[in-house]
Amino acid sequence: MEATPGTCSVKISPGAVVCVEAEIRGDVTIGARTVVHPRACIIAESGPIVIGESNLIEEQVLIINKKPDNGPADSKPETLTIGSNNVFEVGCRCESLKIGDHNVVEAKAAVGRDTELTRGCVIGAFCEVTGHEALADNTIIYGDQYDQRRQYEKPPDQTLQLDFLMKILPNYHRLKKSTKTGDR
Amino acid sequence: MPSAEAKLKKNRCANCLDCPSCNHSLTTRATSVALTDAKSPEKKTTKKVYYLACGLCRWTSRDIGLTDKESLVVDGRNMKTTMQKGPKTDEPEVTPVSKIPPSEEVDPLPSKFYTQPLVLEKVTTLAQRLNRPEFASNQVEGLYPRHKHLVIKRSQRCRDCEHNLSKPEYNPSSIKFKIQLVALQHIPDIRIYLVPKLHHERESIVTILLSNPSQEPMEIQLEALNDPPSTGMLIVPSIELALAAKDITAEFDEKVADTSQYQDNPELGNIETIKESYSLTVSLLFALAVLSYGSFTFSFFLEGIPKHGTVHIVETILKLDITANEVYPVRSGHKLGVLFKVTPQTSEADVVVCFKLKHKYHNNSPSLRSPPDEESSPEAIWLEHEVHINLGPTSP
Repeated sequence: MEATPGTCSVKISPGAVVCVEAEIRGDVTIGARTVVHPRACIIAESGPIVIGESNLIEEQVLIINKKPDNGPADSKPETLTIGSNNVFEVGCRCESLKIGDHNVVEAKAAVGRDTELTRGCVIGAFCEVTGHEALADNTIIYGDQYDQRRQYEKPPDQTLQLDFLMKILPNYHRLKKSTKTGDR
Repeated sequence: MPSAEAKLKKNRCANCLDCPSCNHSLTTRATSVALTDAKSPEKKTTKKVYYLACGLCRWTSRDIGLTDKESLVVDGRNMKTTMQKGPKTDEPEVTPVSKIPPSEEVDPLPSKFYTQPLVLEKVTTLAQRLNRPEFASNQVEGLYPRHKHLVIKRSQRCRDCEHNLSKPEYNPSSIKFKIQLVALQHIPDIRIYLVPKLHHERESIVTILLSNPSQEPMEIQLEALNDPPSTGMLIVPSIELALAAKDITAEFDEKVADTSQYQDNPELGNIETIKESYSLTVSLLFALAVLSYGSFTFSFFLEGIPKHGTVHIVETILKLDITANEVYPVRSGHKLGVLFKVTPQTSEADVVVCFKLKHKYHNNSPSLRSPPDEESSPEAIWLEHEVHINLGPTSP
């Protein structure tokens, strides 16, 4: 299912807030109560992207299902799956194919294609994690030395922030209409 | 904080805490918990509780099993007991250590180091342990926050005259210098204003903008150097230039400052009227073409003109360039545009011109050596500076 540029098969669940200025290309599914800010980029280049519920995707975030650099050209398209209650802060880049729930990718951080975030992981600001591994639950990577520690509990939910954004964003931005389920 | 108090508090802040994991400052975070009443289970009340959290590594006081507190001052007395497990007395007891002769017989390593899996996340780093040498916990559960060290500003003295430049103050965020003798406030500022295309061995006119940073009028003289290490021949204007005092409020004033007292050129007076006329636009384009020696870069110059005040200068320069083929200073407030005739002597390297800048300097700051009552107005002296300006490469 190779997504051709220009074709838009974006599925937005009812209740999601996706601004028109956000760049969304390819086969992308966005779950309910997910907020996508203007100027965020979600690009399904080599395979579909499925985003779960109650995620917060801020400005200048790039979520991309990228073609592997050295992989075979005719490899099977893989789906990039993002769970629920994740936060992608301003300017972060995410290529990871599997992201669980309650993760936080802080500002300007980057997650590579082969890195899996399980639950409650935090990638600190400006940290680039590209290794071929699955980070354990509640792993926190921070600082310029990429220090790693385990948290006692998952980071708190951004429910209040999401509620606020859902109320405020429609006042100043035009939203993409949600697609009816079962339409496609 | 007075030093006696600081000593009493062991040079640490009573309110601020550092993260035991990464040494970042901790912040107090509020959260609400739902409490069920013991008497009536269906009645729920929400209560605000506080805990400490680190913004960098996301360490929280919950990590070490500390329960959330109801008061905003989380670190207060309640937590103090848990954090200060050390010896109570001020002078710790020193137990002498008996000498042990070296031997080959050592106790074998406990078997748990071989059998139990190592969980790196649970082990503290060396830096974390050395941060609290009295506990040196090797488990992350034993990391307790520590009160922030007090900081102080150090004193700085001038290397030559031993004047105190900055005093140690209790408030480290205060950045007031004792003596306002920064050169920036006394020596005229020189900026390259307009450089046309430079060609090898062809004379071009470069505009240099001089501005007076001090609150008093300033006289400036420019002189050529005897043996300049330059790559461009420079003819500097030989007249004495007078710069108006810097008036901070004038920058916000709509009106152009009155410069008639300096009598630079009668042309300057009616610039305002010419500016509005269409004919100037034509002459402006023409003059720019003249300035850039027939090349077609004038549109760039026009776009590059930023503001009202600078437009005034540019137009004046251009007007003067047409009317008089001499070097004339151009004025706007405390700034002065000076036209330099530059002839590049090189075609490969950057064109560097050198000259001597002389300006009058009144030392108004009270000096320790001469009492202030001796002389009311200190004598003005001429200060000299050698100036090297790199004008960039020549055009082919």
